[in-house]
Amino acid sequence: MNAVMNMEDPPVDVPLTAHGISHSYEGRNALLGVDLVLPRGSVLGLIGRNGAGKSTLIRAMLGLLEPLHGEARVFGEPALSLSDASKARIAYVPQQPEALAWLSASQMFDYLARFYPRWDHAFVERTLKRWELPANRVMAKLSPGERQRVDLIRALASQPDLLVLDEPAAALDPVARRDLLREVALRAGEGGGTVLFSTHIVSDLERVASEIAFLHEGRLLLHCGVDDTKERFARMWLPSGQSAAAPAEVLSRHRHDDGSLSVVIERTADGDWPEAATLPGARVDALGLEDLFVEIAE
Amino acid sequence: MDASILTIQSTAPEPIYRQIVEQLRRLIAGGQIGAGERLPSVREVAGFHAINPMTVSRAYGLAESEGLLERQRGKGMVVATGTGITHSLQQRMQLLEPHLLQTARQARELELPADAVLRRLRQLLGD
Repeated sequence: MNAVMNMEDPPVDVPLTAHGISHSYEGRNALLGVDLVLPRGSVLGLIGRNGAGKSTLIRAMLGLLEPLHGEARVFGEPALSLSDASKARIAYVPQQPEALAWLSASQMFDYLARFYPRWDHAFVERTLKRWELPANRVMAKLSPGERQRVDLIRALASQPDLLVLDEPAAALDPVARRDLLREVALRAGEGGGTVLFSTHIVSDLERVASEIAFLHEGRLLLHCGVDDTKERFARMWLPSGQSAAAPAEVLSRHRHDDGSLSVVIERTADGDWPEAATLPGARVDALGLEDLFVEIAE
Repeated sequence: MDASILTIQSTAPEPIYRQIVEQLRRLIAGGQIGAGERLPSVREVAGFHAINPMTVSRAYGLAESEGLLERQRGKGMVVATGTGITHSLQQRMQLLEPHLLQTARQARELELPADAVLRRLRQLLGD
């Protein structure tokens, strides 16, 4: 399902495109040739273990970091030299919000509301209460979790065309997390909003994401529709006597102590499982996204 | 009907759009929702369950193409006429078949005696 991309002639209104992005920190590879396109209206869940490169990729895609190789574009413009008009269409919530700590949440919202024509005052009022945030205390005195919740409200209230959230779930209790997912879901799709969020909580992603991208050790292992992923991949277990029949090219392969073998298999173009799945003793089990992620990231 | 009639298990291997279609099929076959009854809008279902609206649209589209639902002007999706209580016992049993097969497989793997499983099932059915 990887969208075809032509960097000579990038489509003007595609919210995000990354082409061949590589980066490293002090000689340690963080990203290795990542290609990723986010079409309008999609909700992409970026999943990976801690240190997989999720935050680096997000920062590079938004032009907040200059990658060693490759190019990122936002609404068709080079990410590193975005126009103010494009910047105003984006809201980004980093893992550690840093700005405007000397203001209270209310003061910051009053200030920002002037710059955003679609600022949603009612949403701000409602959500400050629901998420139990002290609106009049200076943000320097809030806990890191409270700061991130304020920042999430800020991002959603501006009603951006592109919403980018880096690990938003960490700061939220289950009720607030469900609220956030609801907001994300309703802004995407027919609303025309586009969302990129990174997480290591797979169940969040399964609810609202339309697409999923697995980032592992700086590489993009898989990028496809969420439903498609669940229907296309499965785990096959073969007893030791049959394990030689496993397909050569699989996403992951684990040999067990007794000689039996587990592999992640993919449906063929006709929608069938590979032939080995019909062998006596072979077992094919459906995989949830979390299981699939663990299988291929281990 | 209201969006709360559906249950979504986001972590199940079965995609959410299929879960919705399956539930509609069962609710209609069992007569809990009748012909002509209005379904909650895509937005209501997406908002209530915090799921992607495109997933709900896809489920409704599939249910429509299978003849379970029909689009009615001004009303949105309604349960199609000609569905519902007309389902025979055999047709309704057919809907349960995949779940029975799975239960039977698991019971065999656990080496459970058939009468113990049947006894429990009878209990669950309130018989």
